[in-house]
Amino acid sequence: MKKRNIVGVVALSTALMVPLVATIGGTVASGATTVKLSGPTKGAKLTLMYGSSGTAETKAVNAAAAAWGKASGNKVSVISASNFSQQLAQGFAGGTPPDIFYLSSSQLETFAKQGDLLPYASHVASPSAFYPALVKAYTYNKTWYCVPKDFSNLALEINTTMWKAAGLTNADLPTTWAKLLADAKKLTHKGVVGLDIGNTLDRLGAFFAENGGSYMNKEGTKFTFNSPQNVAALKYVQSMAKQGILAFPPQQSAGWAGEAFGLGKAAMATEGNWIIGAMASSYPKIKWQAVAMPAGPKGTRGTLTFTNCWGIANQTKDSAAAVNFVKYLTSVAQQLRFANAFGVLPSRIAAANAYAKKNPSVAAFVQGAKYAMPQVSTVGFPTVQAAFDNQVLGLATGSANPVTMLNQLQSNAEALLRP
Amino acid sequence: MENLPLSDETAKSDVARAPTSQRNPRKKRRRSAARRGQNLYGWIFVSPALAILIVFLVIPIILALYISFTNWTGITSPFASAVHFVGLKNYKTILTEPGLAQQNFGTAVRNNFYYVIFVVPLQTALALWLAILVNNKFLKGKGFFRTAFYFPSVTSSIAITTVFIFLFSGTGAVNRALSFVGIKGPDWIYDQNGIFTTLLSSLGVHNPPSWANFQILGLSIWNWLAGPSFGMCVIIILAIWTTSGTFMLFFLAALQNISEEAEEASEMDGATAWQRFRYVTLPMLRPVVLLVATLGFIGTWQVFDQSFLTGPNNPTMVTPAYLAYQVSFSNFAFGEGAAIAFLLFGLIVVLTLVQRKFVKEDLTK
Repeated sequence: MKKRNIVGVVALSTALMVPLVATIGGTVASGATTVKLSGPTKGAKLTLMYGSSGTAETKAVNAAAAAWGKASGNKVSVISASNFSQQLAQGFAGGTPPDIFYLSSSQLETFAKQGDLLPYASHVASPSAFYPALVKAYTYNKTWYCVPKDFSNLALEINTTMWKAAGLTNADLPTTWAKLLADAKKLTHKGVVGLDIGNTLDRLGAFFAENGGSYMNKEGTKFTFNSPQNVAALKYVQSMAKQGILAFPPQQSAGWAGEAFGLGKAAMATEGNWIIGAMASSYPKIKWQAVAMPAGPKGTRGTLTFTNCWGIANQTKDSAAAVNFVKYLTSVAQQLRFANAFGVLPSRIAAANAYAKKNPSVAAFVQGAKYAMPQVSTVGFPTVQAAFDNQVLGLATGSANPVTMLNQLQSNAEALLRP
Repeated sequence: MENLPLSDETAKSDVARAPTSQRNPRKKRRRSAARRGQNLYGWIFVSPALAILIVFLVIPIILALYISFTNWTGITSPFASAVHFVGLKNYKTILTEPGLAQQNFGTAVRNNFYYVIFVVPLQTALALWLAILVNNKFLKGKGFFRTAFYFPSVTSSIAITTVFIFLFSGTGAVNRALSFVGIKGPDWIYDQNGIFTTLLSSLGVHNPPSWANFQILGLSIWNWLAGPSFGMCVIIILAIWTTSGTFMLFFLAALQNISEEAEEASEMDGATAWQRFRYVTLPMLRPVVLLVATLGFIGTWQVFDQSFLTGPNNPTMVTPAYLAYQVSFSNFAFGEGAAIAFLLFGLIVVLTLVQRKFVKEDLTK
């Protein structure tokens, strides 16, 4: 009883303290770094740069910027970048970065290391309001840098027409690797492959996680690519590819697994929730459902998460206004508006739950948030990953060996950590 | 100069009286003042062009050279305190340290090397042949053929490459056509095997001999000799087709400068058409052949757009120019990217000098 009281008091006082301190002094200790906010909260001119997935996102972001600007008495100019990461880099190199911008978790370390990011996150909310995996994805050197904007998780999409035609029922849903193998076999026939999966670590990594494997150790200090769990997972994928019940998109002349799935060349696919919009706009006639990724042989659940945060540039003169804007953007109401507009999953647990309740079709994607694994953010990793991705097609033809591939990935990645 | 106004009269009279030793310096001074004025106007006239060159060419090149010796990430000012001078580290990572960076650079150089040695001779020959065809006095509809042959050159290379990617995709038009005659075409763009290794393996040679395992730039000799991939062959054909039109114009202009007398004289001497081409036309075209080959050579070492479209996730299609871009913008290793660019620059200079040494401009030398 007493213990609970103390915890309650601590929690309550922290909850009170955070906004209190934020309003009085604008200083909050976030891990090792203390950030002081500056500039007026009214009459500030902010710029927001983002890479849009389409008109729906463009409209929603512009509307949000206009609404907040009007309500708070600030002005936000929104820049939609056609080549986002290049334009963002140019902004920083030229000394005129946008105040607020999208930032992928895979680039956090690169930007944080250069001192380009304002570690403002704890001004906005307590980390417990967000999914822990997302907070972890934006924490570097024990400092929580930016507030997660939204996320997308991988799930397994099933063409329900083909499913029924193959005589499969709900009892056969691929909840385990064994069932996935059996289902893919039954669904494969002339011109249709059971499962299509993107030939990249960003899809295959889900199987690592399901088998209890990982990219890095828990502390994030060492890579664990060539662990026995990962090797076994890759061998499992290879065995399906060799049997012809799993295909990679280039084998089916598709740009991505969603295309093969939408064109009816594959009965199942593993993509993130971005596939919902693509299916609705490009392949509206296909009937499909999403289920969570299967569990590995030991019952471990696993999937991958792809996420962006709202980055604030360290160079900004109006950090106080910028943080207020991000507060607005990451409020439950605004996150739900974004989710409804272009199908991303809200990063706030409360908002995500509300969204999943209203849209049962996304439940399979949201479900993974508890155990999803983020992308590697080590500086220089894209090239290392590309070298691995290049070999994935070889798994199907037999020219690539899972053990060699993972050993190479491990040694190339380890080279990045060497000073 | 000699007719400078007014003061000239007085000067003349001065000169008449003055001893010769005094004459020259005064004249010189005035002359140089006038020349200085002229020089000034000259500089003023060229200054806009010069300013553009300095701002957009000279300074960026010097800056890039500086960056190639730093660890700049491209997301701060290149002069920020976090940017350190790292000496030759970037060059060492690419050239001497075994690892991914070296292997990627080696692969890119190999890909581009095959591209160059196939494209340059073939496009030069094709351009010359087309020029001779459309230069024919008796050809009807010359204008049409000249336009038709030149047309691929004015079309956007990104658009043409995209069309080629569709045509040559695994289930594209080319493979459909091949399937009618019972041939199963490869996955052209994504097949990772070189054409020479594919040929050898069809002859029963699957494994490299032991000497071919020696590594140069992170790539075994076997890999160096693998030849261009099928995708690269597609791009080679595309490049020959699209650029030969431009070079055809070069040859056409040169052909029209050759006087008909020379040709007629050789005809009178009983030369066959081939002899006339080989011993009369071609030697007269020699400077243009050299120009076209040099331009082609430099251009082909810088191929970027085709690689930009087919390069991601496709190591046999990456060229050094694209690699420099990729390393810089997706890996944020601008120092390494700049180093690749300068290595490519050095490679082009050296190889062009070698080429000029072997193909002399003037036969008499």
